This record gives sequence, C-alpha cells and structure tokens, in this order.
Amino acid sequence: MADSTIKKVCVIGAGTMGAGIAAQVANAGVPVLLLDIVPKDGVNRNAIAEGAVAKMLKTDPAPFMGKRAARLVETGNIEDHLGRVAECDWVVEAIIERLDIKQNLYAKLEEVRRPGTAVSSNTSTIPLAQLTDGRSDAFKQDFCITHFFNPPRYMRLIEIVAGPQSNPDTVAMVRDFVDRQLGKSVVNAEDSPGFIANRIGTFWIQAAVNAAFDLGLSVEEADEIAGRPMGVPKTGVFGLVDLVGIDLMPHLMASLTSTLPKDDPYQAIARSEPLIEAMIAEGYTGRKGKGGFYHMAKGADGARVKEAKDLKTGEYRPATSPANVRGSAARGDLKTLISAKGKVGDYAWAVLGPTLSYAASIVPEATKTVVGVDDAMKLGYNWKAGPFEMIDAIGAAHLVERLQAASLPVPDILKQIGEKTFYRIEGGKRQYFGTDGAYHDVTRPDGVLLLEDIKLTSQPLLKNGSAALWDVGEGVVALEFTGKMNALDEQVMKLIQQAISLVKSDYKALVVYNEGSNFSAGANLGLAMFALNIAAWSEVERLVKGGQDAYKALKYAPFPVVSAPFGMALGGGCEVCLNADAIQAHAETYIGLVETGVGLVPGWGGCGEMLTRWIENPRHPKGPMPAVSKAFEIISTATVAKSAHEAKELGFLRQSDGVTMNRDRLLFDARQRALAMVEGYAPPERPEYRLPGPTGAAALKLAVDSFRKQRIATPHDETVAGELAHILTGGDTDVTEVTTEAQLLKLEVESFMRLVRNPKSQARVEQMLETGKPLRN
Amino acid sequence: MTDVVIAGYVRSPFHPAHRGALARVRPDDLAANTIRGLIEKTGVKVDDIEDIVMGCAFPEGEQGFNIARLVGLLADLPLNVGGITMNRFCGSSMSAIHYAAGQIAMGAGDAFICAGIESMSRVPMTGFNPMPNPALAKKSAAYLGMGDTAENVAKKYSLSRADQEAFAVASQQKTAAAQAKGAFADEIIPFTLPDGTVIDADGTPRPETTAETLAGLKLAFDQQGSVTAGTSSPLTDGATAVLVCSADYAAANGLKVMAKIKSMAISGCAPEIMGIGPVEATRKALKRAGLTIEDIDIVELNEAFASQSLACIADLGIPLEKINLDGGAIAIGHPLGATGARIVGKAASLLKREGKKYSLSTQCIGGGQGIATILEAQ
Repeated sequence: MADSTIKKVCVIGAGTMGAGIAAQVANAGVPVLLLDIVPKDGVNRNAIAEGAVAKMLKTDPAPFMGKRAARLVETGNIEDHLGRVAECDWVVEAIIERLDIKQNLYAKLEEVRRPGTAVSSNTSTIPLAQLTDGRSDAFKQDFCITHFFNPPRYMRLIEIVAGPQSNPDTVAMVRDFVDRQLGKSVVNAEDSPGFIANRIGTFWIQAAVNAAFDLGLSVEEADEIAGRPMGVPKTGVFGLVDLVGIDLMPHLMASLTSTLPKDDPYQAIARSEPLIEAMIAEGYTGRKGKGGFYHMAKGADGARVKEAKDLKTGEYRPATSPANVRGSAARGDLKTLISAKGKVGDYAWAVLGPTLSYAASIVPEATKTVVGVDDAMKLGYNWKAGPFEMIDAIGAAHLVERLQAASLPVPDILKQIGEKTFYRIEGGKRQYFGTDGAYHDVTRPDGVLLLEDIKLTSQPLLKNGSAALWDVGEGVVALEFTGKMNALDEQVMKLIQQAISLVKSDYKALVVYNEGSNFSAGANLGLAMFALNIAAWSEVERLVKGGQDAYKALKYAPFPVVSAPFGMALGGGCEVCLNADAIQAHAETYIGLVETGVGLVPGWGGCGEMLTRWIENPRHPKGPMPAVSKAFEIISTATVAKSAHEAKELGFLRQSDGVTMNRDRLLFDARQRALAMVEGYAPPERPEYRLPGPTGAAALKLAVDSFRKQRIATPHDETVAGELAHILTGGDTDVTEVTTEAQLLKLEVESFMRLVRNPKSQARVEQMLETGKPLRN
Repeated sequence: MTDVVIAGYVRSPFHPAHRGALARVRPDDLAANTIRGLIEKTGVKVDDIEDIVMGCAFPEGEQGFNIARLVGLLADLPLNVGGITMNRFCGSSMSAIHYAAGQIAMGAGDAFICAGIESMSRVPMTGFNPMPNPALAKKSAAYLGMGDTAENVAKKYSLSRADQEAFAVASQQKTAAAQAKGAFADEIIPFTLPDGTVIDADGTPRPETTAETLAGLKLAFDQQGSVTAGTSSPLTDGATAVLVCSADYAAANGLKVMAKIKSMAISGCAPEIMGIGPVEATRKALKRAGLTIEDIDIVELNEAFASQSLACIADLGIPLEKINLDGGAIAIGHPLGATGARIVGKAASLLKREGKKYSLSTQCIGGGQGIATILEAQ
C-alpha cells in the first residue's frame, strides 16, 4: 500500500454517512476524529458523536471491520474540538444538506485548519460553486466534493468533483487516499446537479415506478422484469426503494427538480403517487419503517409470510411469484427484452428506453466520458452493465429508431455514434467512444490489474470445465475457478496439478485469484450428493484425497503460491488459502471453515493448517491444548470472519498476510507479494505436531457436553464435533509422540468418510443444497 | 496443644474477570501487594515469618513456578521466608490456614502468611491445558462443569429459580449496605495500576440487582435448569492474606489477635453435587469442637452458587440471619484460590465487630469436597 500523506482525518457530522465514512477511515487503520454538534440538552457534550459510534457497533451489516478499528475513532463536538482540525490532513464534511449551515461551518474551518489540509463535502445535491462562495482562494484550492454512497464501507463508488480553483495536487492526494486506503473506485464528476449515479438512478427509479402504475403491473412483476433480466440486483426497483427508504424519494425529487434546468427530461417524469405519499405519511417507509412495497407479515400459523402492496387498492396481499413474466423476461438479450410483445416488453422498454436516453444525454455535462457513466452505475447501483454497455448490447442505431418512434429525445452522442459501438477492442486494448468522435483507451490507475482486461487479449494457458490458468505478467500465473459459484471439484484439482508442472518449467509464481462474485463457496456439494446417493464411497474418498494431494502439492511446490480471496472463501475455498505460502486478501473477505454446518469436517488440510497457525501465534498460550482448543472452537462452530481484519484475529490469515482495501488492486498486490518471495524461495518445512491424543479429545468432549446442555449444540453437532476433536487432538497419539502432517491428513479422510456415510450428515448436505440453509439436526 | 490464632486479615479489591480493573494485573503482583499490606497492617516482624502458604486453584501461567516463593521475593520479604503453593481448588487458601495451624501445633514455626490468589482473567478456569483422564471422565463426574453441579443440587433439593434469585438479591443488598457503611475499607489493600489509578474498592457487586432483573437473565448452563449468571458467583480477580500464628507468639509480640482456631475439617462428597460439600465438613468440624450448629453465631458460607448455598443452609439448619452478614461471593466475587482465606479472615473480623463467640467458615470444592473452619473469639 502506497504511503499516503493523509495520516489523520476529521469527519464532521455523525449521521449515517459521516459516521460510516469515519468507520471506513478507521478500517483503513487511520485515526479519525468524528465531530457533531453539542446536543441541546444533556450534560455530555459529545453525546451525538459517541452515540453514533455506539450505534455502529451494533449495526448489521457492520460499518467497522473489527474492534480495533472502532478504537481509532475519537469523538467530540464542533464547539469544543473544531480546533483539533489542525491535527488532520483531510476534513470531510457530512452535515445536513443546508447551504447556509455548511457555509457557516466552512467559515469556521477556514480559521482553524492548517494550510494544505484538504476539505471536502459529502454533499449529494449542492453545487461546489455555491459551497465555497465567500471563502478565500486558499480554501477553494484545497476544496472538493467527495460523494460517498451508503453504506460507505460496502458501496464501492465515490464521485469526486473538483472545482475550477481546486489544486490538482490536493485533489490527487484525496483521490489516492480514497482509492488505496478506503478502497473506493473514483469516478470524476462535473459540478452538475445530482452528479452521475443518483441523477441517473433517480430517473430510472421514477421511470420504473411511473410505468408500473401506468401499465398496471404488480410490484412483483415490475421487479422481476427490471431486476435480473436488466442486469440489476434482484431487488429491482420497488425492493431497492424499500431498502433505501421510501421517504427519501420525495427529497431526491425535490432536490433534483429544483436544481435541474426546466427542460431537463427528469422534470417531465417527476411525479408523486398519492398511494406512495399515503404510505410515507403512515410510516410505511420501507424496511426501516413499518413496511414498504413488501413486508413480512405473520401468517395464521405464526409463520412469516411475504406480502406485497397492491398498487391499485393500496392493501397488502400475499406476494405472488411472477412466473408469468419470469420466463419471457429471462429469455434472450436486452434487445429481445425491450422488443417482447405484451407486458414484459412494454414495461422493459418504458423503463429502459427513457433511462438509457437520459444517461446518454448527461455526457459530458455530468461526467466527461461514457466510462464515467457506466462505472458510476455499476459501482453505485450494482448494475452488471453500465448504460452505454447496455446500449451497445441493444445496438445504438436500433435504440435511436425506437426512441424516435416513441418521440423520446435522442441525445447528441447517440446521433454521433451511428452504427458503431461505444466500446471496442483495438490492439488488445479496450477503447471507448469520446465526445470528440474518436476512440480512446480505457485506462486503469497504476496498480490496478484485472483478469477481465487480460482476457481481452490472451488465451488461458490451461483450461477445463472448472478452472483456468492465465499469464498475468512478470512471470506470474493466476489460477481461476470458473465453475458455478466457483465451486471446487476434481477438475479444479486436476488443473492445479497441471499448473504446477507448467509453472515449474516456465514461470516464477502462482496466484489463486478470480473475478466472480465470491472467491469460492467451497466444494461442489451437488456432485458430492450425487456420489452419496449412489453410495459411491470410493469416489468420494478419491475426491477428498485428490483435494489434499492438490492443495499440498501447491503448498510444497518449488515456487511461491499466493491466494487472493475476496467475498466468500468458505470450506475448500478457505483451505486453498490456508495451504498457500501467503494470502493477500481483499478487506471484504468472509473466510471460514464451514464444513460442520453440513455435518462434515474440513478434508483438504484445513484442520492441520489451522492448528499450525494457532501453534505459531506468539500471543497464544503454549502447551498441547491451547492451539487445539482454539482451532476446535473456530471450526466446530463454523465461524466465518466478517472481514480480512477479523480473519487475522481468527487465524485464517497470518499477521504477515496482506490486506488490499480496493478490490481492483487485489490481483496486482497478490502478484507483487508472490514476486517478492521468488528470490531464494524454498518451500515450507513439513510441520510436526505435539498433540494431546485421547486426553485432549476428552477435554473437548466435556466442553461439547456443556454446549449440549445449554442447547447450543444439537445431538448431531456432538457427533461431528467428536470427529473434529479426534482429528485436532491427533487421533490415538500421545503427547510424547510426534504427529506428522500426513497423519493428520489421514485422520481428516477417515473422519470425513465416517461422517459422509452418516444419514444425519447426508440430510444436512441435502437441505443445504435445496434451501441454502443449514439443517440443525 | 499450642493455640493457633488469626492475627490479621486483608484482601485486594475484587474485580470481575476480563472486564474489571484488575484484568491486566499480574496475579503475582497483586498477591505481593496484598501481603505487603498485611505486614504493614499487623506489624509482624518479617524475619519471624516461617513460610508463605499460597492457595491457588490453577497454579500455571503467571500463577505457575511456585508462585508463593515468587511472591515472597516480589514483596521483598527476607530470603529465609519460605513459600509453598497449595491447591484444593476453591478450598486452597483455607487449606493454607489449616496447614499453617498444623505446622504451628507441631512446633514447626510461629508465624505464617496464609494467602490466596486467582486471576481468572489471566489463567482460565480449567487452566490452559486441560487434559482429563478419558477413562475417569467416562466413569465419574470428576470433571463436570461447576454450573452443572449447581443445577444438580438445585434439582435434588427442589430449589426453584425464584428461591435462588431471592438469595442472590439478599447477598447483593447486604454487600451494598456494607459497602455504603465502609465495612470493607478496613480489609481492602488498594492496588495502584501502572498509570497511577488507585483501585481501592470492589468492582464486582451489582447493587442495582433486583428480583426482576434476575428473572430476565438467560439460563447459563442448562436450558431446562434454573441457574443463571445472577445466581452464580462471578469469575473474579483477587488476592487475600491472613496472618496465622501461635497464641504465645502473638502475645509476646503484641499482635492484635482476632480469633483462635477451634477446629478444622475436610470431607469428600459426590462430584456431581460438590455444592453440598460444606454439610459433612461442617458436621465433622462441629464434632471436633464439641459444639452444635446452634452454638455458632457467625457463618461465612461461600456462595459459589445460590442453589448449593441454600441446600447447605437447609441441611445444616442454619438461620439465614447468621449467614454472610456483609454479603457473599455472589456479590463480592469468588477468586477461586483466594476465597478460603477471605471467609476465615472475614469471620474473625465479624466476631470482633459483632461481639460474638463462635464462627463457622465453610465452602464447597470442585471435584466433590467440603472444608470448614470454626473460630472462637479471643
């Protein structure tokens, strides 16, 4: 991670956004001062900021990545502590969206801040020119807008707006910090109302809500069509509004209608529905309120039933599965979708036509390039494709025809593009269509390396149905999982063995990396269940041993192996990390050995690797039991770390392993870590353990007995925990004997095979496959 | 036979493990500070001290290496003063007193420091490396968790959750009242943290406890049982020290005698109901003293759990008003190895304060034992 000149940050305003930004700064390991006003009553003058931190410690999903981060936030108030801004290198203002109050605060900040300290506003609506009106030139030079999205830890987008007087060095310092340290992807926006993502997003939501009312669709139908088929999260539009708060809609509308020019297309579609107004008035503001377009009601038998708002009657009724639209909406591409006959096509077009036209109309006013628009929607609204990528998929010329036929505006850039596409691959580089009519390379910031880009110009070195191997430059290869959910199977293990031979002869190092939604959810349970159903025990055993062989071959290969997890890295996905020489993890990594949840135990070396980590931990007590107890506690309860930081506390990561805050920098960082190990590389020594044997297993059994009595553990948990205890304590060994890694692996296989034959474990696997939820038998 | 007397009693403040003010304090430092306090308070000549007898239930980690000897060195006692660590779990430091009494009776010394220590923050209950004998674990309840034994006693004696909670509330109220009167000030040796903070009061009591708050707690050990954290003694960090010497030595050196040891006893019982250990131990001690339970004026009964306390009270027929005048372990805390010396020292000081004649100090011990000490006012 590059050294940043920002060593301390002050966030003013401890609302959801301000507090969340402060938490993310702390997550990056940077101390932060969080200030808010002094409450009108009460003796504690810091109560508001303190309350915000206390609330965040209970919020789920958690704004903090770990307890250590929370300790980096210092709280205070703007009357007593504003002077401490002088200690900070960056001040983020995230107070109420009122121009006079913000200007008043800036006037005070001007007096106390050090020259050169960056000041930015998290405003989502107020133009930069108005914010800095009346301030000195020096202040204007150090000022910009940093528009985070909610919640700041989890949303990857940040829009940065620099003013005409902003000092490029100051803006660069802030940009570098939010990119590398806070892990955000920066999109440069112009000083125009609503910036990029919210301007398009608000238009899109309005268009989708209007069309549902106008065309008589149910909320379920609308969300089915405007969700996944359009590459939008499955919440669709109504589900999304429930999530962010229905009461936010009128505010966004008022803000945009007052700041956008009168002839902006949004003005024409902005309208409020009496039904929605009534919902807000009665407290039906979405998930945070009494309910929204959807809510969970208690059914007659006490079970929770999902209900949906009937847009005609305003009453809740049981939610229906919109099967009638699902089939036709999911079929084919976007062009087919908007051309479909009937409800599906009509609605899809009514949402997408105006939205794409609108998105095309705000370049270069809101951002200079089509890439900015696409990035903003992909990162800020989790769309799979940006508006211009969608236009390419439909065909710009076809879209123009449809717009003209519908008497909708055809923005200049759509006229300009003609029969061409907004993106193309030229000379191995992805290029975009500029407003100057020429194509330009899509550039990535330094230190960003994406498999997505590499794939544009190269073929895999090796490939089968479940994995592929790519040359990622500088003599390093990347092993990519390609199966559904990146599930691991025999094919993956086969490719690992092939990759090892190839790297030995032609390359320097290997990185385990991919760009799916998650690193890997573990072994392919579906395949395993198939084998169980036909009682193909020898097949199952071969799969377990094959995985062990492949992972240990990686571990002892004569070259460095770095695993680069992100998102979920569970079960076998966790074990491929544990068996690597080093881990470079994305900060948002949820790693764990969850096998016990399906009635099994880790079978690909996870038990021994966790033991090794806890034995090596210098702060953990010594002796035959402490490491065993800790590994047992973590694995038996299927504990999953909620961040890379927590993964270090749990021992899935070593203290020496790396954490990358920005997802786009993960492959580069992992490759650099691997390269740094190349010179003089020697594979690790094979570990030897001193394990307690049956006496240790007896101690663990006592603990499980007490969990049984507390009803924390089920009867089958006890069986599974017994097998796990057997492995971790070294089976029938004695504390005077040495247990080898090979012996532990054998114990893993034996226990795994005993459990996999147990009908109760099979029932767990079956339920997990069917419902995705663990069976507690 | 040589009369053996209690000539001084002190303790550290008691604080809840992990979250309390003493969690980051090494147990040897805490014990050394407490012993220095005892020496200052009693004025005993350090050169005359034969031995430090230190009770500790989990003598490993920072409590390992014969902590008694190390504490003597830490407390700058003369090199001739010995040190022995004793373990009888919760009965450890009461056993320390018994051992000293026996040594004195045998003429093997005049003055002993009988101390107890437990940092339950820094050395976990069960220790770092619990390695039970698998065969014994199968055939007996020797390793059964203490909470489970409390549930067993509650079942055997048909003690309702409400009965236990009423007992716990009373303990908290007695401690709160005693704390308000400053009744502990005389026995607590303050401890100064490295940052200069002086810890001079207990952090364990929860004076705000009511029957309602206790009724809202989750069951701690058995989802079909009756014992909660509120009716159990809390995990505690603390140290105690008692000066035990021959009556002659005390008289010759002008020491302030608090009480004379009248009788002592140990008795084993079934491990799964270890909480009733005090019953047989007390009966033996009474018999040896030639007394009946009616003769006893002051009782310090260790409140490991409300259930076992109530069971012992019922079996022995002790009037509630004689029990734990300043509250018990449910409120004050139970640093395992340190508790025995506390309830003997406390009983001695209560005999003086209340102007009574006989006291009984007794406690249950994990694994199935009871221990008892009867004192007579001097």
